[in-house]
Amino acid sequence: MSANTYQLSQEDKKFVGLHIFFAVLALSIGTLFGPLQALEHSGLDLYPYLQPLFKSYYQGLTLHGVLNALVWTTFFITGFLTLVVIVGLKRELRYPKLNRVGFWTMVVGLVMAAIPILLNEASVLYTFYPPLKAHWAFYLGLTLVVVGSWIEGYGFFFTFAAWRKENPGVRSPFIALAAVITMGMWQIATLGVAAEILTMLLPWSLGLIEGTDPQLARTYFWFTGHPLVYFWLLPAYISWYGMLPKQAGGKLFSDSLGRFAFWLFFLLSVPLGFHHQYVDPGVPAGWKFLHALLTYSVFFPSMLTAFTVIASLEYAGRQNGGKGLLGWIRALPWNNPSVSAQLFAGILFFFGGISGLANASYNVNLVLHNTAWVPGHFHLTVASAVTLSFWGISYWLVPYITGKKLLNEKTATWANWLWFIGMIIFSNAMHVLGLLGAPRRTPLGLAPYIPEEWSGHLLRVGIGGSIMFIGAVLFVVTVARTAWSKKAEPAEVEVPVAEAIHDPQDTPQWLDAFKPWLIGTIALIIIAYGPQLVDQIANISLNAPGGKVW
Amino acid sequence: MSDKNQEFHPKGTLTILIIFVLTLILLWGSVYLILLNRGVTI
Amino acid sequence: MSTKTSMHIDPYERNWMIVSIVLLLGFATAIAVAAFAFGIQVPSPEQRVDPRTVAESGPWAEPGLRELSPGKYEAYILARTWLFQPREITVPVGSKVTFYVTSADVQHGFKLQNTNLNVQVIPGQVSKLTITFDEPGDYNYICTEYCGNGHAAMFGTVHVTP
Repeated sequence: MSANTYQLSQEDKKFVGLHIFFAVLALSIGTLFGPLQALEHSGLDLYPYLQPLFKSYYQGLTLHGVLNALVWTTFFITGFLTLVVIVGLKRELRYPKLNRVGFWTMVVGLVMAAIPILLNEASVLYTFYPPLKAHWAFYLGLTLVVVGSWIEGYGFFFTFAAWRKENPGVRSPFIALAAVITMGMWQIATLGVAAEILTMLLPWSLGLIEGTDPQLARTYFWFTGHPLVYFWLLPAYISWYGMLPKQAGGKLFSDSLGRFAFWLFFLLSVPLGFHHQYVDPGVPAGWKFLHALLTYSVFFPSMLTAFTVIASLEYAGRQNGGKGLLGWIRALPWNNPSVSAQLFAGILFFFGGISGLANASYNVNLVLHNTAWVPGHFHLTVASAVTLSFWGISYWLVPYITGKKLLNEKTATWANWLWFIGMIIFSNAMHVLGLLGAPRRTPLGLAPYIPEEWSGHLLRVGIGGSIMFIGAVLFVVTVARTAWSKKAEPAEVEVPVAEAIHDPQDTPQWLDAFKPWLIGTIALIIIAYGPQLVDQIANISLNAPGGKVW
Repeated sequence: MSDKNQEFHPKGTLTILIIFVLTLILLWGSVYLILLNRGVTI
Repeated sequence: MSTKTSMHIDPYERNWMIVSIVLLLGFATAIAVAAFAFGIQVPSPEQRVDPRTVAESGPWAEPGLRELSPGKYEAYILARTWLFQPREITVPVGSKVTFYVTSADVQHGFKLQNTNLNVQVIPGQVSKLTITFDEPGDYNYICTEYCGNGHAAMFGTVHVTP
């Protein structure tokens, strides 16, 4: 079986490794600010000691959000998917230079956006809502990161098309198709933020236009903002469906349902952005309700994923000798840090899914909007389901590209456990605070309106955040030592690719064809977004000049 | 494909998912009740 | 090459799909009932204003409470860096108050604690929701959207007198 696994060339390993290097670098810096925010909530404000290097809580929060949610994810995803496409299709990239151009465009964009943030010229948080006015280099840098990711996506599409030509009548390999679906969705989704930046924010920050239309900007932003979540999540799902079953000692339970779930994500990820705008004054309630129903429908493929992934794990556990209704859980290889990271990711995602469904539930959002519940929620999704899965992937990927054994499993296991336990404490406290009315994005130590009943939970935010931070340090130490320490032993590492229980050739053809799904997706976006976009653009008022208020 | 694979019934999976659904109803329901308690907005 | 058009679905998974769909339909019904039968609604477009002049003319030039009839009020609130105008309003218990909130500069949030009044405040737009105060006490309204350096201190209070 191992002979079947296609090997990346040395150049491609290096290329993937560069992605991971920038991703982990971003995570290392971005995560430094996590405990600063968490401890501030507990009454220990360390920001005054960082003067004049870092000016404020908000600058730190901007670095935390941009580097972790946007950079760590995007660089890791493009790198990981490069490997997935090559290994999945068992062929080289069709135009390797194109992918290199995409990658270095992302790096240039990253540097360009980072400079104004570090100079406190772009402390606008990672949603950069106008008319908070950042330096133009911030907007241009973000644009280049997105454009670079598009170009890397084109590289995947050309490679996939070339494989199709070479393999007529063969079902595409699941993981490669899933990677291409993810990047395809991303191309459509990012049109919103591209329109926001290119037609409004960039000309405004350059002084070419006087003001912005903040409501229209939000509509553009959330056109991208929610599918962004699936852009983070789907690569983790690729690992859960296509790799984790093999690592756990089993097979993928259903190839067709895996594909079906990915196509549903392709179809439904975009036309539901108004569920982030339930309390916006400029969007009619009826459209918000429609998007609520569409958001519910995108919950369905996640429910399918839960079943297929857990069933694959149950199959693995029973192959390992696990008995009884739930005894197979203990028979999973919990001592493999790559597996345990992803199992923890899944457990935390259960709760992230629940709190996300509450956010998405139209008027229920009145209880939660802009409260601490929201960061509590997305730390269970992007910072748990996604981040812990990426850690788990890193534990075999870094050894694979460096040709060295993980140094070592012990520190990796501790990293997972600390992140898991810290996250439970932190996110539970944040959810409770949100229900009690605590706002997000606020240094609560400075707020004059804090009731006594919040204090115990605020303390738990600091405790949980600090535990998580130790876990993150251990993760970075583990991958850095694996890559660079002289102690790391050489090792032959394989890319884990799971087989399906049923032959993929039995998968029906409509689950392996882009055209019907692409047409359906565009039609659904036009129905769900068309009238409101036309209306809001026709009534545009660029009358909010805003400015730098930090 | 072996018969052994055909016989695999993911009973444990369904058990976990039923527990998940009950938790979901409980937690979502409690937020929904907070909403109802805090009164109307029109 | 397979010519099958139907996917193979395990019976357990089929049952799970049915459970999922029923569950989501149940939630959808619950939110629809709360919105359309009980009247817990989200804001809809009210009017557009010019944020550059909204503090100089019109109802937000003199923000505050207006009594429409006994027990019925309108509250015009102007959010700006970094305060709400007015900072306080006082109404008797049982009052029904319609809030009209807008911003003179950047985005803000307006969340009235322990009620369902929670809106995004966007320059150029007016956020409108109505609340009835059934319990006496002090209700803080706090800014829930990052709006610059003074954000954490931005709040006001509704005094509901017995």
